[in-house]
Amino acid sequence: MRDTEDMEADAEFEEGEEPSFSDPEDFEDDTSDQELLEDILKERPQEADGIDSVIVVDNVPEVGPERLEKLKNVVHKIFSKFGKITNEFYPEEEGKTKGYIFLEYSSPAHALEAVKNADGYKLDKQHTFRVNVFTDFDKYMTISDEWETPEKQPFKDFGNLRHWMEEPDCHDQYSVIFEAGERTGIFSNDAKEAIIVEERARWTETYVRWSPKGTYLATFHQRGIALWGGEKFKQIQRFSHQGVQLIDFSPCERYVVTFSPLMDTKEDPQAIIIWDVLTGQKKRGFHCESSAHWPIFKWSHDGKFFARMTQDTLSIYEVPSMGLLDKKSLKITGIKDFSWSPGDNVIAFWVPEDKDIPGRVTLMQLPSRQEIRVRNLFNVVDCKLHWQKNGDYLCVKVDRTPKGTQGLVTNFEIFRMREKQVPVDVVEMKEGIIAFAWEPNGSKFAVLHGESPRINASFYHVKNNGKIELIKMFDKQQANSIFWSPQGQFLVLAGLRSMNGALAFVDTSDCTMMNIVEHYMASDVEWDPTGRFLVTSVSWWSHKVDNAFWLWTFQGRLLQKNNKDRFCQLLWRPRPITLLDPEQTKLIKKDLKKYSKIFEQKDRLSQSKASKELVDKRHTMMEDYHKYRELAMQMHQEQRPLRLDLRGGVDTDELDSNVDDWEEETIEFFINEEIIPIGDLA
Amino acid sequence: MRPILLQGHERSITQIKYNREGDLLFSVAKDTVVNAWYSVNGERLGTYAGHTGALWCVDVDWDTKNVLTGSADNSCRLWDCETGKQLALLDTSSAVRTCGFDFSGNIIMFSTDKQMGYQCFLNFFDLRDPQQIEDNQPYLTVPCSESKITSAVWGPLGEFVIAGHESGEINQFSAKSGEIQKTVKEHTKQINDIQSSVDLTMVITASKDNTSKLFDSASLDHIKSFKTERPVNSAAISPSMDHVVMGGGQEAMDVTTTSTRIGKFEARFFHAAYEEEFGRVKGHFGPINCVAFHPDGKSYGSGGEDGYVRLHYFDAQYFDFELEA
Repeated sequence: MRDTEDMEADAEFEEGEEPSFSDPEDFEDDTSDQELLEDILKERPQEADGIDSVIVVDNVPEVGPERLEKLKNVVHKIFSKFGKITNEFYPEEEGKTKGYIFLEYSSPAHALEAVKNADGYKLDKQHTFRVNVFTDFDKYMTISDEWETPEKQPFKDFGNLRHWMEEPDCHDQYSVIFEAGERTGIFSNDAKEAIIVEERARWTETYVRWSPKGTYLATFHQRGIALWGGEKFKQIQRFSHQGVQLIDFSPCERYVVTFSPLMDTKEDPQAIIIWDVLTGQKKRGFHCESSAHWPIFKWSHDGKFFARMTQDTLSIYEVPSMGLLDKKSLKITGIKDFSWSPGDNVIAFWVPEDKDIPGRVTLMQLPSRQEIRVRNLFNVVDCKLHWQKNGDYLCVKVDRTPKGTQGLVTNFEIFRMREKQVPVDVVEMKEGIIAFAWEPNGSKFAVLHGESPRINASFYHVKNNGKIELIKMFDKQQANSIFWSPQGQFLVLAGLRSMNGALAFVDTSDCTMMNIVEHYMASDVEWDPTGRFLVTSVSWWSHKVDNAFWLWTFQGRLLQKNNKDRFCQLLWRPRPITLLDPEQTKLIKKDLKKYSKIFEQKDRLSQSKASKELVDKRHTMMEDYHKYRELAMQMHQEQRPLRLDLRGGVDTDELDSNVDDWEEETIEFFINEEIIPIGDLA
Repeated sequence: MRPILLQGHERSITQIKYNREGDLLFSVAKDTVVNAWYSVNGERLGTYAGHTGALWCVDVDWDTKNVLTGSADNSCRLWDCETGKQLALLDTSSAVRTCGFDFSGNIIMFSTDKQMGYQCFLNFFDLRDPQQIEDNQPYLTVPCSESKITSAVWGPLGEFVIAGHESGEINQFSAKSGEIQKTVKEHTKQINDIQSSVDLTMVITASKDNTSKLFDSASLDHIKSFKTERPVNSAAISPSMDHVVMGGGQEAMDVTTTSTRIGKFEARFFHAAYEEEFGRVKGHFGPINCVAFHPDGKSYGSGGEDGYVRLHYFDAQYFDFELEA
């Protein structure tokens, strides 16, 4: 039954006009496999002619037949690490090997691996292998013998990159990001009013950074970093690094390190790239899994070395080769943290306790790698390394749990770097530490300790004889951060964010509170590079309302409130190190009275000018307003009959203009009640 | 001087208004009560009972005979000021947002919300024609389909109504034809309030875009701007000084998450000519929804989201104070 049904359906189908899809008899397919299967063909196994798998090793010892077997063993051991060796050839001459050999691997990839890893291998003192792919020889053979001078790059004049330093009134500059990152401006600081230098829309996609000496402004873009500078902030350099998130300049501004979480591949390390700022060339790429502890690479103060810590190793690299210093990393089992001295080529690092071996802090001189000081520590939980800005002192904050106790005890171990054998003194702290900060250019340090709401601020002085003296303690402070003036002596204790933005300005020469103020919900505090001004700000990144930055004097007098729509970040432009030698600085300090008179006069002039400007402005505003009001009143007068008409002839232009029509009404209010007992009259 | 605290509402105050002489103050709130107060000491004169929903607006005519109120109970009501008797009930299809008597007191206007499928209308009734009230048939009704009216006042001489819209636009609607005579857009966000100067030559707007602006009533020329950091809910022009007062603060819906300090619930005084702030008055613990100057300029009132009306009499220094110019 079914069959017949199907048959019927088929029959019906054939009846309809159906085009034929079959090829004509004489059809010949003229599309090649190449066209159809290009992508698949690429992966077709190919016969290697073998020549790509051959490597040449130079600087192999020349040996006679008696030691050839031994040499072959050694070579085999070294090179079989990279893949299966299918063929080896040791050319001989007069019974001795010629000092170079050929090895063939099973695949070209192995050969490349061998070149990458074994080139420069030190067999012994005399013999360092040079390994090349055989095919490279062809390449190098064809190089012309004649030296062609590379074409001279045209010199690009960016103008004076330190133009801002020539500002006659020594105004410092700062960058401001606002409108949630849409706009970035550079302003010149002035006690009265910020002067705009440059403002651009979408200058950066995330944030900006100044280089350490203030020469360049770095902006972030999806495709990389751009550097701007000079009088008009022209683009000076750009570094293409897809998805760049973090950067770090070397202290000398010669190199910049960029980090991107994208693009890293096994063969081609690109997570971290070090660039030459002047040429814009990529110097070296590194692998990196996490940027949690940025900067990953820490620079020595002079920018000659940079170091990175990985599991049990400390790798120190040198410029300009970007290679490992002495070709070897330092093996330091358990290394937890390290830090360069900001004044010398000294590295401090610490290692926690391991069974019977005590924890220790080590100071190491570089490039000699000589350990100049080792300090053993017991029952250590954690250490933090704090260098004083000149590298004169190192404070290691040590959290310990002494035997038999449960609590945490904190010690400050103060290393005096400028003295023989680096003596160490200990300050014991009884309370938890909230913040610690060295005085830049000085020998004082400030500590916030205790627990909220009973936070104390203590100031210590490291004396020449090593005695550490507590100068002053303020109790019950509303603070969670310490900000020293870059010139020392003055500092601000700030209670940022959750502490509502309380600010205490302290002069540490006599430890007086100069002023206690508040910038409500402040999230950031930034000293200007000279230590004359301070900016506190509420960033849109941390708080969505009242985004503004306020300018204060170092004594805590409010100068300006700058409300900027969705203000994000303010950064002062750093200044290069002064060119004056200490003698000249001393001289200036001596004659300070002379200079201050000039400046005071200037200030007075500009102040009176400013107030005159303001008064003038108000004057014109008032005049304009009055002019408008007179016109309006004139019209008002003209309409008077109309008004009278509308209100049935009652004049209501003035409150009392229809006083004659008023009816007197007396209203009594109950004000209070007093009950006076009259007493017993009887 | 200590402010007088008027406690007669259980919910946030939406509008306050002095009568022409300033002896009385009318207040409406999101409860259903209309209060009339003696401004001199804050004693309550009486209430106008009848509404069954939140009240958005109140107005009183020039001779303090009638009071007009608009409510979210979809009605606009006319009251006898002295007796508290309800004279007229005008049913609408959506909440009444803003209402007012014209200069003569003969014509009233009110606007309804764009709500529940109904669009915003601006309605005009002539009180001299009882038939209009009886039939609930305005002599003129203007639909505003684009952006609803959020605040409106009568221009001088009752020729037009100046209306502020949700979009920040300001329009002049002719009271005769309903045509838009003039339009300006100086604000970027909703206009929360418009009030006129005592002589009706100028109006001041209060906008969600954190500013208040002064306009000429007739030409709608923009004269002055006053900037703050918070949405402005209400603004008023002093009748005796070149001052304006502004009230606002963090929006009501955000208030629970912020302290009173961050909300900035102060009334702020600006110099009208210099556009500079010269004083603030604290007191409310929620945003200020409405401010009004006493017609003699010697005191002002403010009504807040906190449900209180505060009457402040100015100190002598206020009248002597001058910005250097």
